[in-house]
Amino acid sequence: MGRRFDVGVGVFGALLLANAAVSTVLYRGDLKIRDEEFTFPSAQVVFEVALSLVLCLWAALKIPGSFLPILSDAKENRVTMFPANLDFMVFNHRGKLFPPKFVEAEFS
Amino acid sequence: MVGASEERELERLEKQVEEGGGGVVEYLSLVRKLKVRRSNIVAKHGLQLLNQASARSKLGSDLWTVYEQVAIACMDCHALDSAKKCINALDSKFPDSMRVGRLEGMWYEAKGSWQKAEKVYSNLLSENPSDTVAHKRRIAMAKAQGNMTVAVEGLNKYLETFMADYDAWRELADIYTSLQMYKQAGFCFEELILSQPTNALYHLGYAELLYTMGGIDNLRTARKYYASTIELSGGKNMRALYGVCLCGAAINQARGRGRTEEESQELVSLAASVLVKKYKEKASSKAGLVSSILDKYKQLAVA
Repeated sequence: MGRRFDVGVGVFGALLLANAAVSTVLYRGDLKIRDEEFTFPSAQVVFEVALSLVLCLWAALKIPGSFLPILSDAKENRVTMFPANLDFMVFNHRGKLFPPKFVEAEFS
Repeated sequence: MVGASEERELERLEKQVEEGGGGVVEYLSLVRKLKVRRSNIVAKHGLQLLNQASARSKLGSDLWTVYEQVAIACMDCHALDSAKKCINALDSKFPDSMRVGRLEGMWYEAKGSWQKAEKVYSNLLSENPSDTVAHKRRIAMAKAQGNMTVAVEGLNKYLETFMADYDAWRELADIYTSLQMYKQAGFCFEELILSQPTNALYHLGYAELLYTMGGIDNLRTARKYYASTIELSGGKNMRALYGVCLCGAAINQARGRGRTEEESQELVSLAASVLVKKYKEKASSKAGLVSSILDKYKQLAVA
């Protein structure tokens, strides 16, 4: 439900914004007919814009996923050990004295 | 870098592979990705995998990487015949490859034929002087022969050219530490911390170095780095928690009677309480023992 709901909220917010835009254009058209000066958009438009801001903000924060920690190593996946420095690997170690037994390589 | 979840995954796959439950290809791929040294298991199961023609054909383009991986693991386990066969297979596929050339040099190293290995690397470097791995192998060769002075000189020269190579800085820090040249090792750790300031393990390494050097100023700096390790690792690094306790006790002893300012003891008691809590969670039978030791440190830190 989560992601779909968030996307739905976002879409609803965008539609509300579009509705506010259309309402503003119609309102200004009305004003022209009534021969009045435009001073302030109607209360309905202001309310719609404010609501769509909240809804779009909700969707923009929710849809991409949860925030990552600022400290990249903290929390769950912290760095626990270094990779072996394989470029400087040395074969002359004490394990050489007791080599383990393996199957013979049968390819060439 | 190996994270906590990758480590868990590696352990799970390793157990599965050792019990014969399959997943060898995934295991080999994870070992390559995490760059861990598990030569014994890689050589054992890698050779079994490569011996089966059907498994080889299933590997697809990864086949040659697996050959290289198994060759290096075999050299590490001193199974030189098997390693040679892997190298031969690679050589017949890529006759003029420098990467295969390096493997041949490494094979001579594993055999103990230092002069032949040196010749291989010299040839590779004359063809391509910026071949970093060949440079590093020469340094590793000096180290393998116990010639630490040459290894240090080589690494310093190498780092003048390739100063962004942090593996080399880490190696130099290790060598200096093994030679007890702590001041020089400290410089390397500073470089490493500058390169990756959020990596807790570099902070921890530097803190341990400073603690080893001793002296009140070094101990105070060590405590700061232990504290930053705790912050960066989300309070889960036990070495750092112990380090803070030890530093608290050591600073107080180093100050002796000529104390001029009051040191804060909050950090020590907090670290000690976290340690005891962790022991109670994971190994409750040892919790009593640990808390008695930590109480001693706390007393030393206050006294």
